[in-house]
Amino acid sequence: MKRYAYYLSCINESMTKEVDRSIDLWQKDLGIELVKMHESTCCGGSNLDYVSPKHFALVNARNIAIAEKMGLDLVVSCNTCLMTIRTAKKKLDETPALKKEVNDLLKKEGLEYRGTSDVRHLLWVLIDDIGIDAIKAKVKVPLTNYRIAPFYGCHILRPSKVLGHDNPVEPSSLDQLIEALGGKPIPYEHKNRCCGFHTLLVAEEESLNVAAEALEEAIREKADFIVTPCPLCHTVLDGYQAKALRQAGDEGHSIPVFHLSEMVGLALGYTARQLGIKRHIVT
Amino acid sequence: MTVSTDPHIEEVKKDITFRVFRFNPQIDSKPYFDDYTIKVERGITVLRSLNYIKEHLDSTVSFRAFCQAGICGSCAMRVNGQSKLACTTQVWEVLEKCREPNVIKVEPLRNLPLVKDLIVDMDPLVDKMKNYSNWVESTMSEEEMGKKEFLIPEEEFLRYDKATDCILCASCVSECSILRANSEYVSPAVLLKSYRMNADSRDSIHDLRLAELVKDHGVWDCTHCYRCQETCVKSIPIMDAIHGIREDAIECRGMKDTSGSKHAEAFMSDIEKKGKLVEATLPIRTNGMVWTLRNLLPMAMKMIVKRRTPPPPPLVKPSKGIKVFRSMFREMTKHVREDQKSHKK
Repeated sequence: MKRYAYYLSCINESMTKEVDRSIDLWQKDLGIELVKMHESTCCGGSNLDYVSPKHFALVNARNIAIAEKMGLDLVVSCNTCLMTIRTAKKKLDETPALKKEVNDLLKKEGLEYRGTSDVRHLLWVLIDDIGIDAIKAKVKVPLTNYRIAPFYGCHILRPSKVLGHDNPVEPSSLDQLIEALGGKPIPYEHKNRCCGFHTLLVAEEESLNVAAEALEEAIREKADFIVTPCPLCHTVLDGYQAKALRQAGDEGHSIPVFHLSEMVGLALGYTARQLGIKRHIVT
Repeated sequence: MTVSTDPHIEEVKKDITFRVFRFNPQIDSKPYFDDYTIKVERGITVLRSLNYIKEHLDSTVSFRAFCQAGICGSCAMRVNGQSKLACTTQVWEVLEKCREPNVIKVEPLRNLPLVKDLIVDMDPLVDKMKNYSNWVESTMSEEEMGKKEFLIPEEEFLRYDKATDCILCASCVSECSILRANSEYVSPAVLLKSYRMNADSRDSIHDLRLAELVKDHGVWDCTHCYRCQETCVKSIPIMDAIHGIREDAIECRGMKDTSGSKHAEAFMSDIEKKGKLVEATLPIRTNGMVWTLRNLLPMAMKMIVKRRTPPPPPLVKPSKGIKVFRSMFREMTKHVREDQKSHKK
C-alpha cells in the first residue's frame, strides 16, 4: 500500500465535502493510503503570495515540512492548492536566504523545510504511480457509452514551469484516465481553459462569461457530463451553472459536472449517493 | 518550396496544407478558410510559408510581418489555435499539434477587432496603453534634461528587466480569458507595462497610474489563468507583474478600498486566525452585505437545500497546532515590518 500525506483543501472541508468523501471510499481499492494532514493550513489560494510573499513562503514551507516529517510526498486534490504550494516550493528551493529565514521560525514547531517531499496532484498519482493498466483492472462498472468532457482547469497546467506534468496546450492525463475507466473523452477546445473562479467575487459578470463558454461547448458537443480535477472549477461549473448560462442567454440547458474522484468512484462500483453526487446543484 | 537534389533533404520535405482564415469585410459576408498546399522542408517557418503562398499562390492573402527575427512583434497570429509569432515558429514544431495530419490552421489573434484575414486592429491596445500612461513621466525637470544622468541601481533594474523584453506582439492579449469575457478589461500587456513603469524610480506618476489600475476593469479583474504568461513569446513572467501591482496596491494607502484588495486580505487574516479560510463570510467581507444578499441569496438557498453551504465562522475548525502556527505567523509579520522600514530608509 503506497502512502501519501494528504493535504486538506479549505473548499473540500466546506463546500465540496464530496471530494474527500469519495476518495475515502476507493483509496484502498486502488492500493493507496492518503494520510490526512490535520495540521496543514490554507495555502493562500493564489492570493497570499502577493498580499505577503514572506507569509506565503512560511505557510507553505510548513505545509510541505509536515509531509517531510511524515516521510511522504504531499498530495492535493485542488488545482490551486497544487499550483500555490508548488510555487512556494520553487521559490524556497531557489532562494536559500528565504529558506533559512522560514526554517528559523519553523524550529518553534520542531519542523524543517528541506525540499525532500514532492507536491503532486491526485490525478498524477493515479496516472504515474497506480498506472492506467492497474486502474483498468479494477473497473467494475465501465463508463462505456459516456461522452465525457475533460475540464483540466488552469492550475494543474499553468504556469508549466511550476507544474510541468502535462503539456499545457494538449494535456492528456485526464483523457487517459477517462479512457481507462471505459469512457470516451470528447475533443473539447475548452479542456485547458479557465473556469473564472478566481474573479467570481470581484468581477462576477466576466467570470460567468468565462464559465458559460466552457459549459456551452460541452453541451454543444453533446457531452454526458464534464469532469474536473479541481473543486474550484466544480464550484463554478456546477454551482454557478444556471446563472452563467442565463447570463449567456442559454437558459433551458444544463450539464452535470463530476469531480475526478466521483468519476473514479462510479467506475469502481460505488453509487452516486455514496459518492455524494446527489449534493451537486446540477444533478 | 525550394528544389534540392540532396536525398537527405528530400526525406525531410512534406506536403503541408495551410488552412488560412480569410475575411475581407468589404466583400465577404462571413469568414471562411482557404487551403494552400505547398512542399515545405524542415527548418522553414510559418511566416516564410505564408510569404511563399502570397508570392506564388494567392497575392490577396493579407498578414502583417516585418523583421522576420522575433523582434518587431508584427507577425503574431494563431497557429493551430495558439497565439505566437509566425517568424519564430517552425512548421515542423507545430506539425504534431495538427488535428488533421499535416494541416496547419492559421488564424488572426483573438480579442482585437479584425481588419482583414490575419490582420487585427491594434488601436484598442494602444488606447489602453495611453489610458494607463504606459511611459515614464520623468521626475527630471526639462532644464536638466540632457545635462544630467539618471542612474538606476542594478537591484531596481532587475525588478523590471524581463518586463522590458515585451515587444507588444499582443499574443498575451489574444489568449486572455477575461478580455474574451469583457473587451473593456485593461489586458495583460498593459498591466505588464504599467508594472514596469511603476517600478521605475525615474517615473513621477506612480500613484496616479496605480489609482487607475485599481479601478473597474483593472488589475483586480485578472482571474489568474496564466494563459498570458504561458503564451508569451519572450517568456516574460507576466503574472509576476500583475501580482506586483496588486502587492503595491495593498501596500499603498488609499488604494485598498476595492473588492479585490479586501478579498485578498481576507485570506491573510483568516490564515492567521484559524489556519483555514472562512468561506461563509468571504463574499460579505469582499463586497458587503447588500451585494451579497442581492447576488448570492438565490444560490445560497440552493446550497442549503443540497447541504453544501460553508460552515459559519464559529464552526470552522482551526488547524491542529494553531497556537504555535499563529506565533510563527506573527513573528513573520515583525520580519515584514522590519523589511519595510529598512526599504523606506
